[in-house]
Formats: sequence, C-alpha cells, structure tokens
Amino acid sequence: MLLILGRRALSAIPILFVVSLLLFVALRVLPVDPAAMSMPPSATLAEIDAMRSQMGLDRPLLEQYGIWLGQAAHGDFGQSLHLRRPVLRLVADTLPATIELAVAAMLVASVLGVGGGLLLFTLRGRRSELVVETGTTVLMSVPEFLWALLFIFVFGVLLHALPFTGRLDASLPRPDKTGFLLLDAILVGRADVLWSALAHLVLPAVALGLAFAPPIMRVLRSSLLDVYHDDYIRQARLRGLSEGRILWRHALKNAALPMLTLMGVQFGFLFGGSLLIEVIYSYPGLGNLMVDAVRNADLPIIQIVGLTYCVLVLAINTLVDALYVVLNPKLRGR
Amino acid sequence: MILHAESLNVCMGDVPVLRNVDLSLAAGQVLGLVGESGAGKSMIGRVIARMLPAAFAVTGGSLTFDGANLLAMPAERHRALLGRDIAFIPQEPLTALNPVLTIGHQFNEHLKRLGIPHRREAALTALGSVHLRDPAGLLSRYPHQLSGGMCQRVLIAMAFAAKPRLVIADEPTTALDVTTEARIMDVMVELQRAHGTAVLFITHNLRLAARICDDIAVLYSGAVVERGVARDVLAHPAHPYTRCLQLADPPLTGPRRALYALPENMPGLREAMRTKGCRFAPRCLIAVEDCRRIDPPLGPRAACLRTEFTSGIATPIAEAAKPEIGTSAVLEVSGLAKRFATGGLFRRAAFVAVRDADFVVRDGEFVAVVGESGSGKSTLGRLLVGLETPTAGRIMLGGQDVTWPSEAARRHRVATVQMVFQDPQSALNPRRRVADIVTQAMEARGAGHAARRSRARELLAEIGLPEEAAERTPQQLSGGQKQRVNIARALCSLPRLLIADEIVSGLDVSVQAQLLILLARLRTEHRFALLLISHDLAVVRHLCDRVLVMRAGEIVEQGDVGDVFANPQHEYTRELLAAASA
Amino acid sequence: MKAFRSGRVIVGAVIVVTVLLCALLAPHLAPHDPDDQNLLAQLLPPAWQAGGDAAYPLGTDGLGRCVLSRLLWGARVAMEVALIASLGAALIGSVLAYVAGYFGGWADWIIGRAVDVWMSFPPVVLSLILMTGLGTGERNVILAIVLVDWTRFCRVLRSEVLVVARRDYVAAARLVGFGHWRTVTREVVPATIPLLVTLLSLEMGIAVVVEAVLSFVGLGVRADQVAWGQMIADGREAIYQAPWTLFAPVLAIFVTVAGFNLLGDGLRRTLDVRMVEGRE
Repeated sequence: MLLILGRRALSAIPILFVVSLLLFVALRVLPVDPAAMSMPPSATLAEIDAMRSQMGLDRPLLEQYGIWLGQAAHGDFGQSLHLRRPVLRLVADTLPATIELAVAAMLVASVLGVGGGLLLFTLRGRRSELVVETGTTVLMSVPEFLWALLFIFVFGVLLHALPFTGRLDASLPRPDKTGFLLLDAILVGRADVLWSALAHLVLPAVALGLAFAPPIMRVLRSSLLDVYHDDYIRQARLRGLSEGRILWRHALKNAALPMLTLMGVQFGFLFGGSLLIEVIYSYPGLGNLMVDAVRNADLPIIQIVGLTYCVLVLAINTLVDALYVVLNPKLRGR
Repeated sequence: MILHAESLNVCMGDVPVLRNVDLSLAAGQVLGLVGESGAGKSMIGRVIARMLPAAFAVTGGSLTFDGANLLAMPAERHRALLGRDIAFIPQEPLTALNPVLTIGHQFNEHLKRLGIPHRREAALTALGSVHLRDPAGLLSRYPHQLSGGMCQRVLIAMAFAAKPRLVIADEPTTALDVTTEARIMDVMVELQRAHGTAVLFITHNLRLAARICDDIAVLYSGAVVERGVARDVLAHPAHPYTRCLQLADPPLTGPRRALYALPENMPGLREAMRTKGCRFAPRCLIAVEDCRRIDPPLGPRAACLRTEFTSGIATPIAEAAKPEIGTSAVLEVSGLAKRFATGGLFRRAAFVAVRDADFVVRDGEFVAVVGESGSGKSTLGRLLVGLETPTAGRIMLGGQDVTWPSEAARRHRVATVQMVFQDPQSALNPRRRVADIVTQAMEARGAGHAARRSRARELLAEIGLPEEAAERTPQQLSGGQKQRVNIARALCSLPRLLIADEIVSGLDVSVQAQLLILLARLRTEHRFALLLISHDLAVVRHLCDRVLVMRAGEIVEQGDVGDVFANPQHEYTRELLAAASA
Repeated sequence: MKAFRSGRVIVGAVIVVTVLLCALLAPHLAPHDPDDQNLLAQLLPPAWQAGGDAAYPLGTDGLGRCVLSRLLWGARVAMEVALIASLGAALIGSVLAYVAGYFGGWADWIIGRAVDVWMSFPPVVLSLILMTGLGTGERNVILAIVLVDWTRFCRVLRSEVLVVARRDYVAAARLVGFGHWRTVTREVVPATIPLLVTLLSLEMGIAVVVEAVLSFVGLGVRADQVAWGQMIADGREAIYQAPWTLFAPVLAIFVTVAGFNLLGDGLRRTLDVRMVEGRE
C-alpha cells in the first residue's frame, strides 16, 4: 500500500512542476504591476522602477521562474503585497481549516452517496425508481453555494438552530496547536470548544457534501446494475448463495471500483466548492484567503494558494488511485 | 429419475419458447441437449435454476428433481438445492469467477455454505481431482491470473465438490481452444463417472454430444424433434433436421464431401408461432403436403411424418472441381516478425506475436492459418493488410513491397488485398445501410450514387441476400447475413487476395455451411486467393488447399491440406488433430 | 425523434425553451428598467404579500429595483454564457478528444497530460485565477469557462472515441481506402454524437452555475450588467429583511440548471449513452 502510494505520488511531481510553471506564466502576463502595488501611493516612478528590478520583474519570464523556483526550494514563496506577511505563513494558518471542512464534506458525501446508491439499487425495476432517479437529477441541479444559502436561511435565520459564520464562537478561546480545530479541542480537553466547532462545521460541511453526493449515488447504482449482469453474479446465485451475501460480498466490491474513480475526480472538484462555502460562511480558510487576494490582485498569494489547491487535488487523486489499485487485483503487481 | 420434464411449456408473453418438452435423465446418466442458437436449449437450464429472463414464464407442464416439483417448491428450498444437489458449469469460465476475490476465497465460501469441514484440504483435493497443478498456489491467485481452461477446471471442481446429483453444463467448452476443449471434456467425464453424477449437457455440437452422452435430445424451434440413444442418433438420424445438421458439418476424416446447407434460417419465435404444421417443413427436403398441415407429435424417436425417408438425404462425395491455382504468387512473406512492447517505462518487456514467418500464397489459392488463441494468427492477418507494422521481414503483395507504411503501399494494398473481419457485429457500422457498406470501397474512390446502387444490387445478388436488404441497417440482419455483407464489402472491388479472420466461428453449423458454400462459389466466379485464419480444422480441410500451422508466433508446419492432415510432421499438428477428432 | 418520447427530455426542453424565451424577450417582458432605482419603494415584498405593490410582481431590492425585471435581464446573460461557452468548450474538447482517441500514440500522451494538468486545479479556482488575469466582463467569463471546461468534453469523449476507433468497421473503412479525415468524420464522429449532445446539455447547466459563482464573488460580468450571481450577492445582504431578493435568483438558477440536467439526463438514457458521471 505504502509502496503504491509512493509510486503514485512520484508520478504527480512532474504535473505539479508544470502547474507551477503555468501558474507563474499566467500570473506574470497580467495587466497589474506588483511593484507599483507594493509601494505606497506617493512613490515616484523611479522608485517603482527600482522596486521592479529589485523584485526581478524586468528579467525574462523564464529567468524569473527560475529565481522563484530557487527561492521556493528554500521555503521562500515571497511576501503578500497587501498583508505584508510571508505567504507561506498565511497558507499554513488557513490550510487546516480548509482540510477540516473538505474532509468533513467528503465524509458526508460518501455516506450519503453510498447509502443513496444502495437505496436506489434496491429500488431497481420498481415504479418508485423513476421518481427517485429524477429526484437525484434535480438534486444534482443544486450547486453547493445554493445549498449553503438555503441552509443559512432555514437553520440560521428562520430557526436560529445553528451558527453560520466562522469556525468558533467569538467568546471561546481558540486553542492553537495543530490548526485543526476539532483535534485541538480534544487535545486541550475542552468539550465546549469541540461542541462549538462541530456546530460551526455542520452547515458548511453538509452543504458541500450534499452537492457532491448525487453523482456518487448514481454511479454506485449504475455500476451495481452492470455488475449484476456479470457472469460471476449469476454463477454465485447458481451456487445457491443468498442475495444478501451476493450483494455485500460479491457485487459491492466490484461496483466500488468505478465509484472510486469518480470519487477521485469529485473530491478534487470538492476543494473548488469549499472555496465558495468558505466565502459564504466567512470560514477562515484557503478560499477566503484566495478570494481576498484575487480582489486585491495580491499575486504571490494567488500563486501559492493556487498551487496549494493543486497539491490537495493531486494528494486526493493519489490516495484514491492507490486505493483503487489495492481493491483491484488486476492492477496489483503479480 | 433425477430430472424429469413432462410437456414443459415456456412462453415469452404469448409467444411459446419451449413447447411440450419431455425429458428424463436417470441417475448417473448423461443427456445431451443439442440445438442451434434460438432453439431454446439454454432455456431448460434457466427453468431449473429459476432464472428466466423478464417476461418469460413457465406456462404448463411439470419439472421434477428426484421426485420434487422444481416449479412449485418454496424459494428457500429451491435455493438450498442449488450448488448442493444441482450444480452448474458455465459457458464463459473467464467471467464466471469473481475478479476481485481469490480462488481460495471463493472456494472457501462455497464449501462453508455446504458445511464441509477441513475446507482447505477439501479444496485442495477438489482442485487435484481436475488435474490442476499446484493447487495450494492456486488458492491464493485471482481469476485473471489463470487461463480459460484453468478457470473452467476450477469451476468444474467447485461444481463437483458438493457431490451433486445433477450437473448442468451449458456449452462448457465453446469459449475454449480445441486442445483445451478435449481435456476439459475428459475431466468432466472422469468426475461424472467417479461420482455417478447425472449430467445435462447442453451443446450445439452434435458430434461432441454423441461422444460423451448416453442419450441425446435434439431441439428445433422450442420443441424436441428427435431423441434416442446417442450412438443411434448419430449413426441413423431419424429426423431430417438432425440429418441436415450432420451433413452441414464438414468431416475431419474420410473423403471430402460437399456440404448440405439448410435454406434460410431457423424461424424466429413469432414467425414459428404462425407456422402451421411441422415447423421444420418450410426448410425440409422431404416435406410433403401433410407436413404443412399436421404438427407431428414426438414419436419414440422423432417428431416427423416421414422418418423413413430421412436416410435418403445425402450430399455428393465428389466435391465441385476446384479452379486452377495460378503459378504467380500474390503474396510472398519472408522473415516476418512482430514484437509488442509490454510493461511500463522501467520494466520493459517484449511479447513476440509473430516470428520469422515465411510463406507464399499463389493466385487463386486458398490457404489456411490454423492455431490456438494466442498463436499469433490474427496478428499475422493484421500485419498483411497493414493494420500493424512489422518489426522485421518483408511482405510482397502482387510483386510490390508493402512492408513499410507509405502512401504508395497503402494505395497498392487497397487495390490488391481486403479483409473480412471476425466479428460482424463490430465490423459493420450500425449507422450505415447495407448498400452503403458493401460499396464503401467505391465511396473512397468518389463513385456516384447510381453506380454504387447498381453495384450494391449485384453484390447482394452474389451473396444471396434479397434486394430489399440494401436499405436495411446491420441490426436488422441475422448473424449469417451480417457475415455475408462483411464478405461482400471485401469483394466489392474484386481484390486478388482476401484475408478472412475466423469468419465462421461462433456461427451455427447450418449457417457455417451456407457461408462455406458461398465462398466456394465466389471462388469459381472471381478467382481470388484466400488466407483463412481459423481454429476449426474441419472447416480448413473442407475449404482450403494448403495449411500453415502456427504455435506461439511460429509457423511450425506448412503443406498441402491433404498431406498435413493425413500425415502430420510436427508434434503440435498431431496434437491439434487428435484433439479435434476426439 | 425517439428522444422526445422521454418525460425527462420533454420537461427539460420545456424549461430550457422557457428560460431562453424569457432571455430573448426580456426587453418586452420586463415591467421596469432593471437598473431603475425607486428609492421610495425599497425592499417591497412580492405583490401577493401584505404591503406588496402590483407594479413590482416579485418585489424590489435594497435599491428599489424591480426583482422580476432584473431576473429576466439576468437570464439573458446566463443563457448567452451557457450557450456560447459550452459550444466553445465542446469544440476544443471534442477536437482534442478525436485527435487523442483516434491517433493514439504521442498525440494521445500529450493531450492526456494536458488534461491531467488542468484537472489538478479545482475548476472554481482555475476560473478565478483566469478571471484575475482576464478582468471582468461577459466575454471573459465565456473565455474562462471555455478554457476551464474543455477537459470535461475531452476526458469523457476521448475514452468513447478510443472504444469506437478500435471497432473493426473503422479498420475496414481504412482498408477499403478511406483517408483519416473521411474515416474520422464518417465512421467515428457519428457514433459519438449522442454522447456529445448529452455532454453539451449538462455543460450548459454547469456554465450557468459558474457564471453565477463568478458574478457572486464579484469577478463575473461588469457591474452595469444584471446577473443572477450578483443578485444573490445583493440578496444575501438583505437576508433578514427581504429574503425574496435572495430566493428569486436562487430559484432561477436552480430551475435553469435542473432544466439542462433533465434534458441531458433524458438524452443520455434515450440515446443510450454510457459516460462517466460527474459534475463540479
């Protein structure tokens, strides 16, 4: 398992390299001037020019990239133009929040997706199937940010049941250990912090998870239907195995393979969804950092946050790929 | 009686699928159920397993297993019988084992359900009894790591592990090579004898059935038309259909004789429902007026009014004179080789599909390439038409070197050689009409609509399809008709050489006979050379002049068909012949 | 057309055509100029509620603008973006998919790696980055969607082309003398049209959502154009006082996307298209 994981991770490195180059080039051809932005408005043109050459902006693009890469190798990704702090620090502060949200949402999506898929499958051939299936199509038409707004209105504004801004009640102290709030709350042994953090996480995570569950449901259902056409299912029946055993022991493991492929792609996209959710719930994660940076044209932040998102997506893909190989004996080394 | 069916009727909606089927199978006996596709032979297995397709239902009659009513018993009791008392051996061994579970896991699951103690030892014994080497190692392997023959052995071992009283084997060897087929049949018969198991053997192959069965029942259009002791049925068929099946099958030994091809196809279910009288009458050589009025009941041997005339149906021994073979070579191959790179970037390996092939095909000559799956014979065909590029060697086509891809070589190939593909389903574009498909070569040259229409009419007439077939799409044709269209497309611009990859495999014998007769006729009319890639030695012997025997990418023997079959030089050729004639 | 016997296709098509008509006829249907501010009629509830005004059927927003009129004008932007962007993405994605799937080899390798690189960005993040570079405006929104979403077509279509191109009838066409161009256009493309149509329909729904998202975070169309995403951003500010200003655009987006999805889904079923499911 570790070996497979390692091999997959290695193959992601060239992609990451190309992505960083593309990001760099794309952000350097922008019509904004980072040098001018990093100076006070009273700076003279000569001062800006001096700044520009100090930042290396007057050199050829590829050379600039080389310099950037060299600095990046030493852990120096530059300073935020707007917040005047090292961008790496900013990312480190916000990344745990985003991961916490995304993982919670993936759990929600997986549970709903697998449960719903099994339910859809057991309804096969019945009249209600059409209704439920059309229902999933309609569900798929509600993107995460609409769920988020709807939840705010229903649970926050109408029912006052759950909080919908930030990660924690303002009155509670924030335990700063790992940055993962749920984990920190447990580490410092504060049940009230844990409870508050969970309450703040419910709406965003469910909104995000709900938007990504329907495709999983449908793929699980259709691949189960496919699997049930296969000879080995028929042969298992001919051996007299019970329907329950056939579903759980024989069909599900095979049907999980296409579902996993989809989850790899889906969970990559889910990070994009988390960005919107963070904006809507004022959740202090990578997404808010990114959107603020975009509004302020804060290039160093955009660059590293973009890259961080890529790392997250590639990490999820790697994990899912490895799991796929583990579950599929045909891909395992002989 | 272990299995007993009495006037069993199965319908799809209101269309009968099985009509008044009577069968009885005693303990320890083997009953062969013989019929072509669509005859309903697999339906009986499905009734026993209670796995009829949607819309199908048993509408009458009785079916008992050891005296117990199989049709009416509660589902739980029925399920308890499956695997324990009634075991099934599937048609496609490679897909009948769960790909994500090990053999050991699946065996263990089966034995656990049967309540067998010391399961590992029991599994090892069972795997040993089907002569699988290294049973212990096998338990930890996955199905895709085994060959089709090994998978089928595992499945046979599983089926017999419960010591069932009845085994149902539905075409258990059709997906396998000849040599494997022979060995698998031996294993099955051995276990059947050892345990005294009753076997219902469902097959399309009359000869195979006669070899291993005690009794035979022949099905046509959903009804048993002949039954009897296997030896008698094969030696003296009583029903004209059985006789015609026999005559449609080219013999592997004895004198070469002409084939008899039943006209048309077996009627479809709805069509058959409308037929009055004997359903075979419209295709029967000896039918009389009465046959079209009276549906004959099944007698002691056959359901036929004119049984006594059946033995009169025969085909001439002397085959039609073969056209003269030219002296010039249309195809010269020397030192041809093809390697495929396999594996990833680091662990590179090469798989040699064809090595050092040397042979010649002369104008008008029919040459066969025989071998088992994986012998490289299909790759050879693809190399010759240019679908693959060789790794080494030379291909001369009509005196011109076409080894390496170039525009000139391609143009020369288009004019000289055509290919008939194996699977007509995939070889015909479902979105095109028959007339467009058969004249596709003219489309490439930019021919006009009228010219194409008239050529399409000619071609359809030549391949024996009605004119109105021109407007149909491939889905509206039967398997045999599709293969004819496939041939017509290749013949459209009259190439000098035709390469045909397994063009009759998977077809019923009567359809196969129609195609073989068609090819022989087209040969005399157009004088083309043919390279027939086939695994069926009987077909090769019937149709071809010369034969190349391939094994693992190598041509191990070549020569005149008569010589090679009568006096094989290479050990592998002998093995193939022995397996085929077993 | 057998497709039109499916209930889903009909419902989807009716919704899509209705929204399309609203968009086309917005200047005639809208009771007010969408940018007209009536500061005497701020945050009016819909006409059927107490305090509503019949002149503003769906009420007004915080600046006293007619919600219905803004909704209708917003449909124009949404549909323009949906149609043009998805056609553009389909064009780029499918051409690359045909090249990769049919020719295989290094062309397939390069295109496959390009898709890998693209797919390592979450689409929302990539479009945000692109919009930073391109600047706001409808044309740039379309461009960003095309540049992000061509991979959806390329990925799914490529695997379908791979299957079709390996069929014997494609080889047979080459053997009777068809050139590559003729083989692809006559034998490969027709077999993939159903899939393309289905993907196109689903992509239009996605484009509607992306346009709304970009406008919502203020990086979509220019401020003087009316867009649903912008209406949501405005409505969110007034969620306590005037929830209808939020619900109207939310519902509009939902119905439009559902229309495209039902249409695509129905087509997929009736045209018997197999595809990898997935959405943003």
